[in-house]
Amino acid sequence: MNQEKSSVSLSGVFFALLRRDLLLAFRRRTELLFPVIFLLVVVSLFPLGIGPGPQLLARIAPGVIWIAALLATVISLDGLFRSDFEDGTLEQFVISGHPLTLISLAKICAHWLVAGLPIVLLCPLLALWMNLPVESLGVLMLTLALGTPVLSLIGSIGVGLTISLKRGGQLLSLLVFPLYVPILIIATAAVMAASDGLPYTQFLGLLTAGLITSVTLAPFAAAAALKISLS
Amino acid sequence: MSHTPFILASYLISTAVLLWAALAPVFNKRGLLQQLKARQARMDKTQ
Amino acid sequence: MTTETAIKNKPRKNALVMFIHKMGSPPWFYNFSGKLVPWLWAIFCSLAAWALYLGLFKAPADYLQGESFRIMYLHVPSAWMSMMIYTSMAIMGFIALVWRIRIVEVLAMCSAPVGAAFTLVALASGSLWGRPTWGTYWVWDARLTSELVLLFLYLGVIGLYNAIDEPRKAARAACLLAIVGAVNLPIIHYSVKWWNTLHQGSSIGTSGNSIHPSMLWPLLYMAIAFKLYYGANLLSRARLKLLKQDHRKRWVQDLLAKENQ
Repeated sequence: MNQEKSSVSLSGVFFALLRRDLLLAFRRRTELLFPVIFLLVVVSLFPLGIGPGPQLLARIAPGVIWIAALLATVISLDGLFRSDFEDGTLEQFVISGHPLTLISLAKICAHWLVAGLPIVLLCPLLALWMNLPVESLGVLMLTLALGTPVLSLIGSIGVGLTISLKRGGQLLSLLVFPLYVPILIIATAAVMAASDGLPYTQFLGLLTAGLITSVTLAPFAAAAALKISLS
Repeated sequence: MSHTPFILASYLISTAVLLWAALAPVFNKRGLLQQLKARQARMDKTQ
Repeated sequence: MTTETAIKNKPRKNALVMFIHKMGSPPWFYNFSGKLVPWLWAIFCSLAAWALYLGLFKAPADYLQGESFRIMYLHVPSAWMSMMIYTSMAIMGFIALVWRIRIVEVLAMCSAPVGAAFTLVALASGSLWGRPTWGTYWVWDARLTSELVLLFLYLGVIGLYNAIDEPRKAARAACLLAIVGAVNLPIIHYSVKWWNTLHQGSSIGTSGNSIHPSMLWPLLYMAIAFKLYYGANLLSRARLKLLKQDHRKRWVQDLLAKENQ
């Protein structure tokens, strides 16, 4: 059945899927806003809960913004494979003969563009609310730009494992948060170092290394997880 | 501050946790065997 | 070649390979481990009793910490076990995923609750050790924080395994999660350790210096004893799970019939 060589190249598969997912996401534009609104609400809850003291907010700003980014990502992760799983497209992908790893990578890229990139773009507003010093804003955006793809990548493994469960979303957070701990630690350390005027490039280097490792390894694990869930 | 209550508490908690972890399969096995015997008895009755 | 010479020239099977092969069969594994488990418990009890006697009564009080260092005989071995069990769970998970051996899946899944129990013990004993030595019950030092994250990893594996209905699929999914967690575990460990030095300045290490032999030997004995505990507990849990999964099969029916007599 798949004996003849596929007429579509690997990059053709990747971009076709990317375009498809982005198209599907943009058809429901209001749904794109949910994680964004969630992010804004969560960050604004912190001053409301802790008090508006500017120094305190400035000190906890990197952690708060990053934790809100983690929560927003986990909320949006479930939609990564869910709709394809429910209408059977995912099984079609598995038997299509194209590498499931590549398919996963394409879907994760689409997910990041839709869910992770808004976090990076909204960062100045969040920094304003949390009274983050202006010098560290650039570093914060950089850590988010490097870190949110890793969140999507590692999260996709969790989604792949829980996709066949009815309440998969709840278990997903438990599975995925311990794996997010290093990124959180390194990213917030970078921003806090920048706030204090200390060198921070080593943390950015670690984040970049994490990104490269995740991009190369996570899609394999996500594909294996999907194969197990669909079996 | 005397250290004895802390030492005592930690040893008690640890013993309790490890004892529970060790005994859980024993109790579950008894329950399982009872279940299986009951099921077998029901099947023998119908045949 | 005649049949006789063919039989004589047949290569002798390696005994170890045969043993491992036989262990893959549930009834054989059940019987063999059933004989092994009481011995493991017996040696564990005697070794632990001896180690605790040495550690609690014979070792002198610590110069800096007084008597509370005796909690170390619980905290350190259980922390070592929590890490070792996670590693063995991940290795068994890898073998189970690649070679699809059911016994190995069962063993990997039965390791998780034991590992979680040891992690709980490490957390509780560490917390109670912290109160007299550092003043608070909970302190975000590197070891306790790593243990907490490890507990979450264990709970994730147990939760995922229990959430999926079909046992073999559940085991495979949880094994994959265990492997992913194992790959992340060193990263988590080092990042937490480094985060701790970043925020606390001087490290609050307890055994940075050399440790006196009379304090060290009970610690090592406890470590070995805990490994025996793990072996005994793991095998008894694995036996139970095999019974549960195979309850329709012939060997379990025969076993039940024999027990009823």
